[in-house]
Amino acid sequence: MGFQFDLGFLVYELGIGIRYVPVVFLLSVVPLIIGLLLGTGIAVVRLLSLHPFDKILAMLVIFLRGVPLVLQLTILYLTFSLGFDSLAKALGLAATAKDIPYTFVAIVGLSVNATVYLSEVMRTSLQSVGVGQYEAAYSVGLTTGQTLRRIVLPQALPMAVPLVGSQFISLIKGSAIASLISVVEVINATVYEANGNYKFLEAYVAAGIIYWVLCMGVERLVAWLEARVGIYSRGGVA
Amino acid sequence: MSNIFSLELFIDSFPILLSRIHITLFIVIVALLLGLVLGTCVAVVRLYRVPVLTQMAIVYVSFIRGIPILVLLFIIYIGLPLLVGTIGLNINRWDTLFFVMIAYVVNTAAFLSEILRSAVAGVEKGQTEAAYSVGLTRWQAFYRIVAPQATKIAIPALGNTVVSLLKDTSLAYTLGVIDIIGVINAISSNTHRSLEAYTAAAFIFFGLSAVMEKGFRWVELRLGVKNTTQGSAQKKLAAVGR
Repeated sequence: MGFQFDLGFLVYELGIGIRYVPVVFLLSVVPLIIGLLLGTGIAVVRLLSLHPFDKILAMLVIFLRGVPLVLQLTILYLTFSLGFDSLAKALGLAATAKDIPYTFVAIVGLSVNATVYLSEVMRTSLQSVGVGQYEAAYSVGLTTGQTLRRIVLPQALPMAVPLVGSQFISLIKGSAIASLISVVEVINATVYEANGNYKFLEAYVAAGIIYWVLCMGVERLVAWLEARVGIYSRGGVA
Repeated sequence: MSNIFSLELFIDSFPILLSRIHITLFIVIVALLLGLVLGTCVAVVRLYRVPVLTQMAIVYVSFIRGIPILVLLFIIYIGLPLLVGTIGLNINRWDTLFFVMIAYVVNTAAFLSEILRSAVAGVEKGQTEAAYSVGLTRWQAFYRIVAPQATKIAIPALGNTVVSLLKDTSLAYTLGVIDIIGVINAISSNTHRSLEAYTAAAFIFFGLSAVMEKGFRWVELRLGVKNTTQGSAQKKLAAVGR
């Protein structure tokens, strides 16, 4: 018995998988944007020590960082399917859990995950800006908001870009876990096609190649972006 | 609320889940140790630019870093028996844990090789030159001068890798390994509920990763690793570790 690998079917599966690339982007770009916005908010709250929110958010971030994504998604999915109907009834909505696509649940779960990690990314990036910069900004009469927007964020950005980029790649890879809560994305689509002929290896290899190409593309994009935002910090120690 | 989440079931599931903790820890430890061995080999190949092997190592690391661990698990679980079958060996009936292990070793080694490589590259060349100038041999220079400094650079990233390895093991259940998460199926077939057990598993994973992070923090202090909020080389490396 030789090693059987159907190259023709692999190519066919690649064609199937590519059609689901938009789903992967939906599952990674939307959480990335939500995560950046909320994460920056959390980072600012924690940096400015806004009592008592900073302590609560810190606890939440530390807890969620320790929980695997698959558990976060499963718990959210179960809570959603158990709790949505009674919540909808209480609010007088006609919708039931069946009406809401699982993709939505996955996006919410991935967004929570992204927020947690990106808040840490933004926090270290903001911290990397020296305290003298804040003091100088205050001394010329800028408000806290102005200081953050005009002085601190532009300097924190070159530090944040590679870290956000690697988070984006983690999100693309993490979106694969959505297949476990029955979201039809690249993996489920290719494996479904293989149900007829049991050529599951080709299906998974095709899915792997698609993710690989996506991640390499994002890596290139981040490297290009890094060169652009770092333009003002050339020289010096960095 | 009680029909959504039962506190009693939540508490009851802890002993059952904890009874399978050794499987999870076993995967983490073996994957880390074998991953370090394989990762070191890959890093050496790339640092010394061994022809042909370097190109293979680059593709290997890039591929592993680019595909989800879920896909890798299935590729190895389905593909390895087929591949080994070509030399007439039948490993179809081998324990699933074996395939899971291979997948995590292959995955961890790729990340570790990147960490080790950039840690060694992060030590200034002048250090090696200075070592040679006082008459140390090539091995002595590496072992006494470069390695201790590289270790300091690598430790924070290594810590990140171990914690994400722990969290990645949560996917082993997809192949039927009965670890902390795999055992939840057994619980839910009895009670017809699984939310409580999954929540309990979340707390266990949080506890484990908190302990690991504390451990690495302690090692960092002992080794005198500089505060990680400073030093851009370390921070870039920490990103590699995920």
